[in-house]
Amino acid sequence: MAQDAAGTAGARVSPQVDSLIRAAQAGDQDAFEQLVRTYDQSVLRLAVNLLRSPEDARDVYQEAFLRVYRNLHAFRFDCSFHTWLYRVVTNICLDQLRKRKVRKEESPTIETREGPVDRMDTFQEEAAHADPERSLWNRQLKQRIETALEDLTPRERMVFELRHYQGLRLRNIGEMLGTTEEAAKNCLFRATRKMRAELGDFT
Amino acid sequence: MNCDSILKLLPLYYYGELTPDEEERVEEHAHGCPVCTRELAQQRALAAALDRRKLVAAPTLLEDCRSDLMAAIQGGAPRLARTVKGPWRLFLDAMAASLSGMSSGMSSGAPASGITRLRQPIGALALIAIGFFAARLIHTGPPSGTGALPGSVTAPTDEVYSTVRSVQPDNSGGVAISLDETRRKVVTGSMNDGNIQRLLLAAAHEDNPAVRVESVDLLRSQSGSTEVRDALLNVLSQDTNSGVRLKALEGLKPLAGDSEVRKTLRRVLLADDNVAVRMLVIDLLVAHRDDNMVGMMQGLVQQENNNSVRLKLEKALRDINASPGRF
Repeated sequence: MAQDAAGTAGARVSPQVDSLIRAAQAGDQDAFEQLVRTYDQSVLRLAVNLLRSPEDARDVYQEAFLRVYRNLHAFRFDCSFHTWLYRVVTNICLDQLRKRKVRKEESPTIETREGPVDRMDTFQEEAAHADPERSLWNRQLKQRIETALEDLTPRERMVFELRHYQGLRLRNIGEMLGTTEEAAKNCLFRATRKMRAELGDFT
Repeated sequence: MNCDSILKLLPLYYYGELTPDEEERVEEHAHGCPVCTRELAQQRALAAALDRRKLVAAPTLLEDCRSDLMAAIQGGAPRLARTVKGPWRLFLDAMAASLSGMSSGMSSGAPASGITRLRQPIGALALIAIGFFAARLIHTGPPSGTGALPGSVTAPTDEVYSTVRSVQPDNSGGVAISLDETRRKVVTGSMNDGNIQRLLLAAAHEDNPAVRVESVDLLRSQSGSTEVRDALLNVLSQDTNSGVRLKALEGLKPLAGDSEVRKTLRRVLLADDNVAVRMLVIDLLVAHRDDNMVGMMQGLVQQENNNSVRLKLEKALRDINASPGRF
């Protein structure tokens, strides 16, 4: 299961991060850049996996860190910086997911200099399987997983992503999403139940 | 506990989100229940299948994101004052400092000391030009009899920059080196000085984006002049660096009502790929309402991919009592 370095560090008080935040709040641009670099890989990974689109992930990254830059002075250390940052990021991602639900958009291909390519092919799969006998099965499974994930509500999708792929605890996830641990548990339960229903014969 | 209540706990059990007490009860039950054992195995299989779908962003995407962000921040700098001086400012400061103890006028010793260092080929090669920046700036100024720019203080420094064009060994064991020399010259003057403005306008087209940012930043205070306004519009439309474009936009703020400026702003809002630039353009456009912009902004709300820009457009339209949709 993915455990996020910045995420786990964020749950504890990290003196290095604290001093970076204070320096950035005082106007030190280098400190801000370092702060961004501490967390931005996990933010981009979340956006890429949730939105499955490099362009949208790039927009989320830019918008999230610009908001952080503009509002960093308001951070009062009453929660971990990681939680605070993820409140911003998850809000932006949820907005994107909700808009997609409405628009039912997203062409499965994107235009490149070499012509249209499958949106998913622009990424590397972390666990690519070389076994050719399983490739058809894998392709079908991949398709079914995408369908199953699309059937989740944006909130279920977010909770599932944060728990399964980012390895965050449900209590922390509830805090990020402005809800209770119990509500996050219910969300995770509903998400897994829906996916089991969609993927039952594949697993 | 019966199977129904255990089945509800299995996903949380898998993710380690149960209390120790609940965990124990699940394990006790599952141990003797083939239905729940199978269910747990399927939960694991589902998780394994989902693990395989995990995507990894290309490292270039992360680098692109980082450079976009820093360009937007350095260009817009809405909250933090820039503490680091750019090369142009450093250049001016350093030259001003070095001039403080020097008399003005040409010094004949300076080129000689430069040439002395170039006698050995290795030394010559080491003196590859740092740039022709100063020389190019001076050539763009109007010619004058003394080589100095009227109204500005000019002085040569003892620095000569050389670019080696060729190195040819000769038969006697020596070497012939062909080189171009550039002498750095410092031009100082007030921002109201026409020559200084011309130099800055030229510097706004330099290859080095840091020089362009600094020049455009300095020109902002002179945006009342038509020449400077046109240069800022040109930078806004054509500069490849978003930080430079943002500086130009800052300079155009007082001219947001000017029809030429608005025409360019509308074009930039439709075409610029940088979010921070588009956000600032919206601010400038809404500061002075005009009929052309409402329809254009309504159309753009439908197409805009970036969430913040879209929200800003919608808010701007609401603020001017226009519908965010187009009918």
